[in-house]
Amino acid sequence: MGIFGNVTGRWMSGAAVAAGLVSLAAGTGPAAAKTASTASAGTLVVDTSFIISTADPARDLDPTGYIVDHAIYETLLTEHGSSTKVEPDLATGYNASKNAKVFTFHLRHNAKFSDGTPVTSKDVVFSLKRVANIKAAPSYLMAGLTVSARGPYTVVIKSATSNPAVPEIVTTPALGIVNSKAVLAHGGSDASNAAKTDKAQQFLDKTSEGSGPYILTQYSTNNQITLSANPYYWGKKPKFSRVVLRDMSAPTQLLNVQRGANQIALDLSSSQAATLKNNSGVKVYTSSSPNLFFLQLTSNPKVSPVMANPDIRKAIRYGLDYNAFTKTAGTGAIQAAGLIPVQFLGGLPTRDAIKQNLAKAKALVKASGIKNPSATLAYPSDINVNGLAFATLAQLVQADLGAIGITIKVQAVPVAQFLTAYNADKYQLVQSYWGPDYADPNDYLVFVPGGSVSSRMDWPASANPSLVKLGKRAGSTSNNALRAKLFTSIQKQLNASSPYIPMLQPAEAIVGSSNLTGLKLNPSWLLSVAEVGTK
Amino acid sequence: MLPSRAFGRFIGRRLIALVILAVGIVFVTFVLTHMVPANPALANLGQNPTPAEIKNFDRVNGLDKPLPVQLGLYFVHLVQGNLGTSEVTSDPIIHDLGQTIPATAELAILSILIALVFGVGFGLLAALRRNSFTDFVLRILSLVGVSVPTFWLALIALYLLFFKLGIFPGGSRLSPSDVAPPRVTGMYTVDALLAGQLSTFWDALQHLVLPSIILAAANMGLLTRYTRSAVLEVMEQDYVRAARAKGLSRRSIVFGHVLRAALPSIVTVIGLAFANVLTGAVLVENIFSWPGIGQYGYQASVALDLPAIAGVSLFIAVVYIVINFIVDVLYGVLDPRVRVQ
Repeated sequence: MGIFGNVTGRWMSGAAVAAGLVSLAAGTGPAAAKTASTASAGTLVVDTSFIISTADPARDLDPTGYIVDHAIYETLLTEHGSSTKVEPDLATGYNASKNAKVFTFHLRHNAKFSDGTPVTSKDVVFSLKRVANIKAAPSYLMAGLTVSARGPYTVVIKSATSNPAVPEIVTTPALGIVNSKAVLAHGGSDASNAAKTDKAQQFLDKTSEGSGPYILTQYSTNNQITLSANPYYWGKKPKFSRVVLRDMSAPTQLLNVQRGANQIALDLSSSQAATLKNNSGVKVYTSSSPNLFFLQLTSNPKVSPVMANPDIRKAIRYGLDYNAFTKTAGTGAIQAAGLIPVQFLGGLPTRDAIKQNLAKAKALVKASGIKNPSATLAYPSDINVNGLAFATLAQLVQADLGAIGITIKVQAVPVAQFLTAYNADKYQLVQSYWGPDYADPNDYLVFVPGGSVSSRMDWPASANPSLVKLGKRAGSTSNNALRAKLFTSIQKQLNASSPYIPMLQPAEAIVGSSNLTGLKLNPSWLLSVAEVGTK
Repeated sequence: MLPSRAFGRFIGRRLIALVILAVGIVFVTFVLTHMVPANPALANLGQNPTPAEIKNFDRVNGLDKPLPVQLGLYFVHLVQGNLGTSEVTSDPIIHDLGQTIPATAELAILSILIALVFGVGFGLLAALRRNSFTDFVLRILSLVGVSVPTFWLALIALYLLFFKLGIFPGGSRLSPSDVAPPRVTGMYTVDALLAGQLSTFWDALQHLVLPSIILAAANMGLLTRYTRSAVLEVMEQDYVRAARAKGLSRRSIVFGHVLRAALPSIVTVIGLAFANVLTGAVLVENIFSWPGIGQYGYQASVALDLPAIAGVSLFIAVVYIVINFIVDVLYGVLDPRVRVQ
């Protein structure tokens, strides 16, 4: 989903403020040993703050959209639970060329769409070409990739450059396989001009043309989405024949999950989830989220000579109280040692994270020769991530840097405006975050000099050509052990000298009725509803 | 009694003002939303949009044209009954409004009814028992209703009446186990009755009551206070004293003379009450997960979905204008002096 995914429905932040009012009280409420009141047998209820604009996988890059599309559409490969290990899905396996440029996928012969039509390579080629040519939000996933069929059950994906992340990329729900015949019949197109000619979105928002464990039976972007079991699904039948996803604010989720049965709350903050610790009717699972908060400083001295100064940058790095960040974010949050989450290949372990050193920070401020250094810290004011408000962290940063002699003025900006100014290199210092598009370190190459995120604050490739070269090598090496080493090295160099200061990975929580199993959060599609079962 | 020519002119003038106001509101909304220094493409395409994706988004949504052209096209389309297409849902705005308005209408109608019945009733009671304990309690309650923030009241009500006591269901329009009735009006209670689905009707009604009461709270307080003062004012009039002196029954004086004379003031407040319902709906719908126009408008604002913002603004403006128009006409009906003027 990248930074901010789609900002639609980010009323969560307002709701999160209000949540405090209820969360305290709710925790002291009756134990959840209440009778089932909101779900019939066979219905799983998932409450989440909807962030969804479509169920058409080729246009979907939203968290709620991913939950839905992962249930409806199969991908060539997939992951299970919270693991990032790729496993067979529509493809029983794949072969990769040594140079990681050619990937051959072997399709299973027994997969069928929800109308009983067999899934063939023709459908795969159509679906992936449609994603590429439609030029909607997920199109970048297919950048540099071409897809072709070799017989009815073999698909070949070729990459213009060596790209070992292809098996990870094809697990994303946006690359779900649709029934080409049905979608073509309803205005779909995979032609090179599909951006203008494809008209299948409305059709795919009403029905589903996938081969996954569920089919779409009701769809509303601000109310309720209902899924029913797909009778033609080739795999293990899901435990729940019906799944209802409801658009609920976090405070309401907190109450519902305690009163309901077969119920899941997806958007509770770590502190809200902590209030349920002693409630035997629900199970709380917390872990560190793959979302990563960081500070980014401009490299353009014209925008801010203070933030572009190497000593000031180091001073900020040593001046921050990282323990306060994780404490504020709640149980499960960890300090980010690098920009790649710790659970991904190449992620730096927390023990390698920088420690606050105020004396060193003050000395560096002095060494910079800048008198009374100051800057403005901009952050998106109307969203929160994993229940954590940007404003809270920004205030901590302001206090920390004030203590080492750097005056920070905080600037709260609505996210839509923030993104516009951020992309136009207007800010001196920003507090931002990155959420993984797919669970592979290649998704983080945007942070090397000249990468799309680096370019936002004027850190061009020419600033560090050797790091750019290292990035290219890491992104194209097929040996995972070597890739891990290379990405580790990149992050260490970024920590030594770059405009980025990794802050933390916040905690994420999933809360469900105590009888439920399989409550695991995936870095890409959050929850696989088909994997939720009962004891 | 047939309306006089002057009254006809009065209605004609109001209708012309209605159209001019609607056009003005569309213009102001359009200009204001386009003045926001933000790019809708970046708000909708995630972190890593390529220039081609941004260009395509702008083209599809007509954002690549100069602003005056966009405004002109908007008005042309408006005349044709086309409010544009949502940048978020990719559905026509008319379709989205058609999906969300019935949910809000169902909530608003019940809320106004509750406010009207209890607000006017409490106000009348308080006035008739002026300075009694009942009057004191009702005045305190009306003050609470007006001053307590809607979102706070909604959260507390959910906590107490749903979570603690289980008297009402939680958010949403129906229980997850229930299926929406076949769509006729989009109002679940009405559609369920039309389809003869009594259990669905009961479920929908149960879900409707609590958010309606919350939404009615402020209006109830407002109506209680206005009714009380209006009735007290009328009760001091000579003709009421005369009616008492003539020995008319209390019931006849209250309903035949006092309340009727107080109605113009109460009708003014009912106009304001509709405004309160539409603004309060944004908060109540979010907390109760009610998929109405308040929630739709808020989400459109956050996503900078310009056609949706303009569509919602236009709808709300039209509702306001129509309500004020009806209030103006009612004045004329209730008070002959207005017709003469």
